[in-house]
Amino acid sequence: MNIPHPQLSGTVQARVAGEKLWLHPFRAAYWEREKTLLIADLHLGKALHFRREGLPVPAAVSNENWDRLLALLLDFRPQRVLLLGDLFHSEYNREWEDFCQTVEQFDQVSFELIMGNHDFLPAEAYRAARLKIHEEQIQLGPFLLSHHPLEEVPEGLYNLAGHIHPCVFLQGSGRLRERLPCFHFGLQQGVLPAFGAFTGMAAVRPRQQDQVYVIAGEQVLEV
Amino acid sequence: MTQAVDLKPGIAWFEKRGWQPFPFQLQSWEAYLSGYSGMVNAPTGAGKTYSLAMPILMEFLQTASDRSSEKNGLQAIWITPIRALTREIQSAFQEAAGELGLQWQIAIRSGDTSSSDRQKQKRRPPEVLITTPESLHLLLAAKGYPKYFSTLKTVVVDEWHELMGSKRGVQMELALSRLKGMLPELKVWGISATIGNMDEALSALMGNTLETGRYRVIRANIPKAIEIASVLPDEVERFPWAGHLGIKLIEKVIPIINQSQSTLIFTNTRAQCEIWYQNLLEVAPDLSGAIAMHHGSISRELRDWVEEALHEGKLKAVVCTSSLDLGVDFRPVETIVQIGSPKGVARFVQRAGRSGHQPGATSRIYFVPTHALELIEAAALRRAVTEGELESRIPYIRSFDVLVQYLVTLAVSEGFRPADIWPEVKGTFAFRSITEAEWAWCLNFITTGGEALQAYDEYRKVEVEDGLYKVNSRRTAMRHRLQIGTITSDSPLQVKYVGGKYIGNIEEWFISQIKPGDTFWFAGRSLELVRIKDMTAQVRRSKKKKGKIPSWLGGRMPLSSQLSASLRFKIGQLQRNELADIELQCLQPLIEVQRERSHVPGSEEFLMEYFSSREGHHLVVYPFEGRFVHEGLGALTAYRISRLSPISFSIAMNDYGFELLSDSPIPIEEALEQGLFSAEGLSADIQASINAAEMAKRRFRDIASIAGLVFKGYPGKQKRDRHLQSSSQLFFQVFNDYEPENLLLLQAYDELMAFQLEEARLRAALQRIRQQRVILSRPERATPFAFPIIVDRLRERLSSEKLEDRIRKMKLQLIRD
Repeated sequence: MNIPHPQLSGTVQARVAGEKLWLHPFRAAYWEREKTLLIADLHLGKALHFRREGLPVPAAVSNENWDRLLALLLDFRPQRVLLLGDLFHSEYNREWEDFCQTVEQFDQVSFELIMGNHDFLPAEAYRAARLKIHEEQIQLGPFLLSHHPLEEVPEGLYNLAGHIHPCVFLQGSGRLRERLPCFHFGLQQGVLPAFGAFTGMAAVRPRQQDQVYVIAGEQVLEV
Repeated sequence: MTQAVDLKPGIAWFEKRGWQPFPFQLQSWEAYLSGYSGMVNAPTGAGKTYSLAMPILMEFLQTASDRSSEKNGLQAIWITPIRALTREIQSAFQEAAGELGLQWQIAIRSGDTSSSDRQKQKRRPPEVLITTPESLHLLLAAKGYPKYFSTLKTVVVDEWHELMGSKRGVQMELALSRLKGMLPELKVWGISATIGNMDEALSALMGNTLETGRYRVIRANIPKAIEIASVLPDEVERFPWAGHLGIKLIEKVIPIINQSQSTLIFTNTRAQCEIWYQNLLEVAPDLSGAIAMHHGSISRELRDWVEEALHEGKLKAVVCTSSLDLGVDFRPVETIVQIGSPKGVARFVQRAGRSGHQPGATSRIYFVPTHALELIEAAALRRAVTEGELESRIPYIRSFDVLVQYLVTLAVSEGFRPADIWPEVKGTFAFRSITEAEWAWCLNFITTGGEALQAYDEYRKVEVEDGLYKVNSRRTAMRHRLQIGTITSDSPLQVKYVGGKYIGNIEEWFISQIKPGDTFWFAGRSLELVRIKDMTAQVRRSKKKKGKIPSWLGGRMPLSSQLSASLRFKIGQLQRNELADIELQCLQPLIEVQRERSHVPGSEEFLMEYFSSREGHHLVVYPFEGRFVHEGLGALTAYRISRLSPISFSIAMNDYGFELLSDSPIPIEEALEQGLFSAEGLSADIQASINAAEMAKRRFRDIASIAGLVFKGYPGKQKRDRHLQSSSQLFFQVFNDYEPENLLLLQAYDELMAFQLEEARLRAALQRIRQQRVILSRPERATPFAFPIIVDRLRERLSSEKLEDRIRKMKLQLIRD
């Protein structure tokens, strides 16, 4: 069942652990009751990291990240942005400063980062960015939010995570095939797609009872 | 001849050995000694080496004041495309030189030559250097090269027809242009087997020498008889309709092996080679120890051993790939077996020629079909061989990646002045159409990285000092020397025993499918994967009999235009029941099935079949033009149909035809009425239908690597980060977005059209189709013609439906447990 968002085209509703989440085709989820935007794996600075290695990543790649982030902040007007790890790909660079400036523009919003394996900037850098740091997973309502999917989820809680960069394969008759990024919600655990443009994807194999929403261009679709 | 030349020393030497020079040898001697450049057109095993080695020696005898000197400087360079040939040429040369009383050194320089030997060659140049195009460029990358080459009289390019069809040909042309620029008297000679476009081969090698008229073409005209015998299945009805391995007929190959002193079994892919080797041992265990295998991914050491053993007649059979197409003569080889379609007439003739080397001997070749319809190809091959319809080799032109690499090479050593080099480059065949603007672009590219890359220091390789273009950075120079060459491949994983002994290499994606502890077959051995460490797969011997067989990507050759034409001719004969060939007789029952279910097209007819199955709606079309043309035609027809209404296709093809498969009915009549094969708007439709950007991106990988945009890492220390390997795709994107006029980018599209889509052939095919009568048959189920195509899993896709709409019809692939 695809329940569309009344204003935002392409966005659909999902029911996860009894909570209403809006899944946006820009690869983010909005938790309406808590006015919280959930984003996983931005991998900011990856483009610049490549450039430093002598690889010319087009500037358009990082611009796209900013455009989408701004659009999400303006569309949902969240009170809180929870970044599920791997915010920043590399050592300190110009893109980090761009990020700090963006955060400044939204000073009523609380930006919080749950540390991931790529987040290794010094602590003062995060403080300067007005970014609240969570070293470990945090619990909010029924959700246990983390970067890595947790190996064990306590009874009665639901783990939301990133890190995987999930995608699925779809097939139709006439031997048609597609590979698309997705939101993957299992029984006790859900994984968000990677937000960052220019990041790879890993195929997940959902089970029968799982909910899977693919991002088909400008549209999120349950499959 | 205006000038009398003395051929006596050569003739005397021949007589001493009890030989008699062939007329073409005498003609080459005379032309060479009269100062001409030229081309010798002679097959392997006809004594072509002596046609040019002798006059090189005789020239020295006539002109040198001191014949016994040991320091004469470099006299001749002999280029061969493959290292396997070098030893034979060296020993022929060395023997003749010694017996003519010359204290010459004949040296080999290749990728295998040790650094200390290279140093020796530099300090005391050998009189004759046998080497490859890459190594020649490395010499041009060394400081002081003008002095090194100052005494050079000639460059001989052996197997020119092989080099010409690749970018190594362009590399050769550029090196020759520099040598000719320094040495106006230099003689350039080529040796080539017969190909369809001999004139072009000559032009490409001679470049601007052609205008001076100082060249000669010498033809050996040694006829060679080829006997083609097909290995026929007992009952064609029970022979597979599709397939590519040919294992079904393996029992019939054993007696062929047993009857001959030594047999070469040619397969089309390395995986097929592994499979045949393994299966031969299973079917005929007594052959163990007497057969071997040979392909390009096996270590040099192993291949050398196999070649040596073949030479000495120790092996009963060798299963091989095109890795043995060229190379030294293996006199003990009496019989050739070809498994599956050789795809081209010239390749087939070349392979057949690997047996019966004595002049006048008949070459015998057995053809083993891998599926029923391939029997037609045997008949088609026989006809084409008889008619002498050999393929052309299309020379690469305007390969700016090679030019950019060459300019940096010159900048690394002595530095260059554009005013000197420009006319030389312009004088080559490959760059005769280069404009001044394009030349300026190349110079700009190596000095600033070009428009899109200006911001990156990495791409500012060459600096300009007082008009001299030079590389000053030692690091840049070293990196460049490591990268010289035009042969590119994915960085493969090395396969080694735990103890460290190297066995060969394998593609990363294959290894990624197997886990430590799993068994796989490689180089004819059962190996257990122990671990993967630093781009090396460490293995140990396994006793297990079953294991995966690696496959290597690439290498699906299309049926050549010549063979396709011959194939259509034979299908016409089948339609008229003219069954002179035994293969066609054998195939007859199957053709009856095709006739019953659908139709057998005559030469004026064009067959299309439309039917439905559980899988969807199939439209199968039979142009018989080879898979590359079908790739283009398939995309084109899919695109034109998809414009009528939203529809999605998956497209499969083989050498005989292509299939459009859809989940919804295909409006075929409407499409035909609207001119499915019309010439109108053809170029635009082709561009729109194929994913040109995606395909060009794949082509661009090699270009970026040759042009030095991506650095593959130091030897033995390849870059590990996968993300850095995908970097050529990034360059492609950057150029597409910011510098669409980038010559390297345009080259990718040009190569795509010329070599992959074979645009010229595609247009010719459409022209032919328009003159034929379309037969649209509606069989109830798949026909023998359709079967091999519809089972193909490798498919392209094309759709005019919105992604969302397509997704809505699809199902998720669920976990299997």
